[in-house]
Amino acid sequence: MRTPMSVLRLPRGPDPNSRGFDPDSPRFIALCSTTISSSTDTETDSVQIGEEQCARSMLRESFLRTLIAMTNKQVQFYMYERVKVNAVFVASDIDVLNFQVSDLQTPIGVQKEALLRCQDVILYSFDL
Amino acid sequence: MAMRQTPLTCSGHTRPVVDLAFSGITPYGYFLISACKDGKPMLRQGDTGDWIGTFLGHKGAVWGATLNKEATKAATAAADFTAKVWDAVSGDEVLTLAHKHIVKSVNFTQDSSCLLTGGNDKTIRIYDINKPEAEPQEITGHTSAIKKALWCNNDTQILSAADDKTVRLWDRTSTAVVKQLSFDMSVSSMEYIPDGEVLVITYGKTIAFYNALSLDLIKTVDAPASIHSASLHPDKDFFVAGGDDFKLYKYDYSTKEELESYKGHFGPVHCVRFSPDGELYASGSEDGTLRLWQTEVGKTYGLWKCVLPEELVSENSDTIYCTPAAPEIKA
Repeated sequence: MRTPMSVLRLPRGPDPNSRGFDPDSPRFIALCSTTISSSTDTETDSVQIGEEQCARSMLRESFLRTLIAMTNKQVQFYMYERVKVNAVFVASDIDVLNFQVSDLQTPIGVQKEALLRCQDVILYSFDL
Repeated sequence: MAMRQTPLTCSGHTRPVVDLAFSGITPYGYFLISACKDGKPMLRQGDTGDWIGTFLGHKGAVWGATLNKEATKAATAAADFTAKVWDAVSGDEVLTLAHKHIVKSVNFTQDSSCLLTGGNDKTIRIYDINKPEAEPQEITGHTSAIKKALWCNNDTQILSAADDKTVRLWDRTSTAVVKQLSFDMSVSSMEYIPDGEVLVITYGKTIAFYNALSLDLIKTVDAPASIHSASLHPDKDFFVAGGDDFKLYKYDYSTKEELESYKGHFGPVHCVRFSPDGELYASGSEDGTLRLWQTEVGKTYGLWKCVLPEELVSENSDTIYCTPAAPEIKA
């Protein structure tokens, strides 16, 4: 009768709340700046990266401000399969995977509280 | 004292796992990417199976996935008619390459500058990753959907397997067919080993080994069941195969003798690959899980720890436990 091989623990499974790629991991910290550009020379790179980073920060800040501006407002969501729904935007999760909405108007009734999967949303619009 | 194999189950996918690939050995170890019909390919640490991240973006089943040697880039092929290139460190989508039909296979060149794609539109395409807006180079000839397309011979040639029951060797520059193999049935999988130029092809119950440059047959081995995938150990002493009967088979490459067979999966095995250091092999199944298997059972490696019987009952030992008696959890 052979003894089964022992194991320290089981492999860790996915985190249900995020898509992973931990920014605090040694690999991320060491490699992330260099994966933006691959093969060109370094001097023009750092200038370009600096400019790109400024643009990214501006866009990110604008996006976050739109989320704040949208809170408690009526938003129209245009989604795949020709779905167009209205709802009151409440919040987004940290990775922008889900939007929490209230009073979601659907063809089968009004859903008091709902989560919209962001990957299903093509565009959304609201009045300021 | 002979030990019994304890496979490590990696859960997380919710649909069948249809393809998997390892990176090369990097300063941070080696990595594993899995393609799944749930549309969410996952990156895992290769030696432990620990989940690192999920590549989000595809809108259909992912049929093929690959990593570059350094595990800095990933590429995926999906039923949403796109192939995508990802940053494998941050998980961000870098490129989306639109195709005219389901994409089944993706493969990087050694320097990660070009991506080879193949799929149901029967055309092989070569994309320059640094110039993605440029039209890809196209290679036509196959009369059915392409299952797998791989770079070979130092990225100067391309090997492709299609449902037209042929495997073709193409010259990259001239895009002409150099040599062709015809079979009585569709090839289920293909693996290319650059070191030694070996091509592993599976069809029906057969695992066949060819010289990748000349396409001369080296040997064939028949398994007890229909085989979907096989992989040759880097040292070319073993090969493993899996298929319809849910089992993993391990064979001696020189003698063709079946050494072991392992039960564990709850569905047909779709893909199996040895790790770059040959210490383990990973299998992906219809049951939605990946399993890691030790090449040398009993060796301390990754999460496997060789424990002497006295240590198991010792009060001082760390949490070490045997899992085979525990109920298998279906994904």
